[in-house]
Amino acid sequence: MSVTTNETPTRSETAPPAAPAPAQRRGFFAAGHYIPYALILPAAAVLLGIMAYPLFRLFDLAFQNINRYAYIVNPSLGKYIGFEGFGKILGDGQFWDVVLRSLYFTAELVILSMVLGMLFALLLNRVSNWVKVTVITVMMFVWAIPALVSGTVFRWLFASNGGVVDYVGFLLTGDESVKHYDWFGDPTVGLYVVCAAVIIWGALPFLVLGLNAALTQVPKELMEAAKLDGAGPLQSFRHVVIPVIRPFLLVTTALSFIWDFQVFAQIFSIRNTSPEDGYWTIGIYLYEKGIVASKYSDSSVISIAMILLMLAVLVFYIRQMLKIGANER
Amino acid sequence: MTTVDVQTDRPAERAAATPKVRTKVRTTGESRGMTWVWNTIGLGFAAAMGFPIYWMIITTFKTNKDLISKDPTFWPSSFSFDSYSTIFDDKAFLPALQNTAVITVGSVVLGLVIGFLAAVAVARFDFRGRNFFIVTMLVVQMVPLLAILIPLYVVMNEAGLTSSLFGVVLAYLVFTVPYVVWTLRSFIVNIPAELDEAAMVDGCTKWGAFFRVILPLTLPGLITTGVYSWIQAWNEFIVVNTMLSSGGKQTSMAWLTFYATTPTRGADYGAQMAGALLVSLPVILMFVIFQKKVSAGLTAGAVKG
Repeated sequence: MSVTTNETPTRSETAPPAAPAPAQRRGFFAAGHYIPYALILPAAAVLLGIMAYPLFRLFDLAFQNINRYAYIVNPSLGKYIGFEGFGKILGDGQFWDVVLRSLYFTAELVILSMVLGMLFALLLNRVSNWVKVTVITVMMFVWAIPALVSGTVFRWLFASNGGVVDYVGFLLTGDESVKHYDWFGDPTVGLYVVCAAVIIWGALPFLVLGLNAALTQVPKELMEAAKLDGAGPLQSFRHVVIPVIRPFLLVTTALSFIWDFQVFAQIFSIRNTSPEDGYWTIGIYLYEKGIVASKYSDSSVISIAMILLMLAVLVFYIRQMLKIGANER
Repeated sequence: MTTVDVQTDRPAERAAATPKVRTKVRTTGESRGMTWVWNTIGLGFAAAMGFPIYWMIITTFKTNKDLISKDPTFWPSSFSFDSYSTIFDDKAFLPALQNTAVITVGSVVLGLVIGFLAAVAVARFDFRGRNFFIVTMLVVQMVPLLAILIPLYVVMNEAGLTSSLFGVVLAYLVFTVPYVVWTLRSFIVNIPAELDEAAMVDGCTKWGAFFRVILPLTLPGLITTGVYSWIQAWNEFIVVNTMLSSGGKQTSMAWLTFYATTPTRGADYGAQMAGALLVSLPVILMFVIFQKKVSAGLTAGAVKG
């Protein structure tokens, strides 16, 4: 043992070090070890350039005092102010209002859309085939409508003058005043009813079709066994169906959370591109501060808060996904 | 429905199984009468979901008289195509549509190529940093696009890419590439490695096996992810609205918001709806053409991330 270790350095001194290295590298190349790296190179470059670097700049901006004037007219006015920017935003009551509103709103959207999605997915298994085809066709169209457009359509549906929802309300109740009910006067109604309606409407196609597909994965034998054992529909749903589709349920809930938490286009267009502050969820708030008011540093702090909030909720989801990924290979 | 399937699958057991299955199913509420109830609820659901779209379409054909009438009409008193001629007379409409098409095609093609390569690497090779790469892809999907909008704008501005369509295409790769990698990965994993090994034994090079075996077998996956990227890029609005705001270029989504906010045009719901419908049409067509694959593939992609 000691002999070989003594010999090695002398050998490498005498032999030209260049000789073994190319041979080794040729083997390395021949074995194709470089191929995966070459394959992920473009993706890695893209992620570094348009994700990692902007993220770095996001943190950089958050510690400065940059607004549009300082940034464009006189960059030298920008300076690092440490956590002052964070203090300013976190000390702002409006920020906490927005965060709370976003969390309530997201909770409402996720719960309602998951429950409705599940109910209609179950319904799809009960109906005749032609009804199923009809529902799926309609949902494909709903799915295809851009969020911005659906916001515009719903604004028109809920308009207080000539809006069809108010008119139907009038037809049902016979009350003239219903005909001009202003759905948007009170942001609480506008946001939690109308905006929620558009967003859930747009989310249902994916959820219903996805959950319905997941439900078909439930083995029929299991359901029959549960019935033989005397389980009612509710019991077999809870003890047979839910466990089987659990992974899919978790993923769709997480996805709904991701989409609903950062929702923007629907609220933006339903309020005619200038939502009042009662409609500000975190996405709108970010846009109003960052783009409209050009407060780059302030909005960077808000962005960081948004990312952290999101990741905090999604740690659970990431772990789940890693488990699924690990099982697959 | 289910009982019929079971019976036709196993005709030999039919005689024995029929009475049992029938009674069992009846008790859980799948009798003819209940099916009728479920069908009614299902159709009601379809009607409720479809109503906004019906309303959108019917509005585009209404005459001005119908549009400004105090009570909305559920069927136009006469059909008019004025709304559509208003849209086509708008000089900004077609260029905006063209910009959207360029951006969408660009990001779909670029996203698919880049994502496909990375998906092959992740699905077929074991390499150092593989898990790190996968986790990164996953986490990236969770960073809200809105949150990096400002720094992205700043970076693109420094690179001179704001107000360029290519800059927008690059920005869209943030959401297309991770999705494409995740979805295609699960497609490629399901192609048995023996297939490309066999091809290589038969004299294909590594790249030959790649192009002749992996690529064709991933085609369904490429279509679904392509359609998904298409929808995302076509419907995206915040990034284009921010990045193209100063360059005099706009996409159809930005054009649409402009249509809604201008006071004179804001009142013209018919034209607004016609514009909205025309702008949504390319996505609707995508869904109609690829319906089956889209619903299957998108949900498969969602399960895998």
